[in-house]
Amino acid sequence: MARYGMMIDTRKCVGCYACRVSCQMQNELPVEVSFIKFHEKETGVFPNVKNEIIPVQCQHCEDAPCESVCPTKATYTTEDGIVLVDAEKCIGCKYCMVACPYQARTQDHLTGVVEKCRFCAELVADGKQPACVTTCISNARIFGDLDDPNSEVSKAIIKHNAQPLRPDLGKSKIYYVR
Amino acid sequence: MVWGTIIAAYLFLAGLSAGAFLTSSFVSRKYPNAVTMRVTGRLISPVLMGIGLLLLIVDAEAGLKNPLRFIYLFTNFNSVMTIGTYFISIFMMAAAYIALMELLKKKANKIVEYVGIVFAVATAMYTGFLIGVIATVPLWNTAILPILFVVSALSTGIAGTILVSSFFNKHEVHQVLSVKKIHLSLLATEAFLIFTMFLITSTSNEAAAESVSSLLSGEFSLLFWIGLIAVGLLLPIIVESLELLNSRKMEHSEAGIQVSAAGTHDIAGTLVTESSVLVGGFILRFLLLSAAVPIAFL
Repeated sequence: MARYGMMIDTRKCVGCYACRVSCQMQNELPVEVSFIKFHEKETGVFPNVKNEIIPVQCQHCEDAPCESVCPTKATYTTEDGIVLVDAEKCIGCKYCMVACPYQARTQDHLTGVVEKCRFCAELVADGKQPACVTTCISNARIFGDLDDPNSEVSKAIIKHNAQPLRPDLGKSKIYYVR
Repeated sequence: MVWGTIIAAYLFLAGLSAGAFLTSSFVSRKYPNAVTMRVTGRLISPVLMGIGLLLLIVDAEAGLKNPLRFIYLFTNFNSVMTIGTYFISIFMMAAAYIALMELLKKKANKIVEYVGIVFAVATAMYTGFLIGVIATVPLWNTAILPILFVVSALSTGIAGTILVSSFFNKHEVHQVLSVKKIHLSLLATEAFLIFTMFLITSTSNEAAAESVSSLLSGEFSLLFWIGLIAVGLLLPIIVESLELLNSRKMEHSEAGIQVSAAGTHDIAGTLVTESSVLVGGFILRFLLLSAAVPIAFL
């Protein structure tokens, strides 16, 4: 059993959207729907300003608010810590979309089912990496087992002192270097 | 926002339905002769809840396409929505039974009515807890919201019952003075609760302050001040106060007693106030859903 997580180095991200496109291909999403959203944030006072590009997707929270509000138990967490939606159980009430602190969920307007980043669960089960990780042109994304101290992702998180977006909002499993 | 007009209408109708049920239970005890109001409240209650549930089903697209999935709604006891599904199911069954007995002119089982009363209150509270527990939206995430929704549910319930009753029996709606007094105090309480909620939440958090300012002076200010405050609260408070003052005068003058005995009151005032309370009740929920600003996570 693993506890899968990711580290995103925003200093390396150039905002090319390649991860978003490969995610859309992998999950067969329409053009206007994406599980990865790009946010920009300006900090500092002129002339010492910094512009960050922050790709945000489902943070696979350990105490996921979307999972606890879901009235049908369509949202669940796998043994490997991946938060998934059972499309056969979702009624499309959108309570999870309201509760998600990262607005990481979207609704499929054909089926009405609410979807989000799945850490490419089927690829990971085959021992592969999620599509956004393999496609990233600047290697800004590292994926792996957070419980394994020798995994590449665990070492990188320690080395760069990566932090969750908002540790106060819950135990999310995507760490950011900013 | 993710939840729009349909959900606002559902929250409004659920509160209105619960309020109408409670109003008719109160009237049946306090004014046994006010049959029209009792029957009206009991009949509109399950109908309005039914319309609300239909709206909810239409909004839940994936369930609309696969209706059997709604069974799963009863499974997650950590979710307020699941708890609410139980509350509404029990309330709906009790309200439908009471309405049926009223139609058949049979005596309703008292225990079912008490169950209905308890779950009517639970349903009204649930609509507030549903959005109140969402920590992501600080405007909703306050302890005062469920109270505000209950007060508004009772107020719209009284308004709906009186409004529909007045079409069938003009005389009766002028006799239920204590209902009118309760209604007036509910409206005043609602105004106070909105003021309190906005003042306190806007100091708690940036996102909440943004929500409140969009209501007071931003995107939704016209609807807030004209729709909710002027039409939904001030107008009914003024008219209702005048009506109560007037009825007091009536009791003390010879002509007044004759007029009230003849039952030739005008119902224009009633129509205006009660409709404006209903409009305000819907606008309150619509505004709270629309002005929801989620916390900034970056």
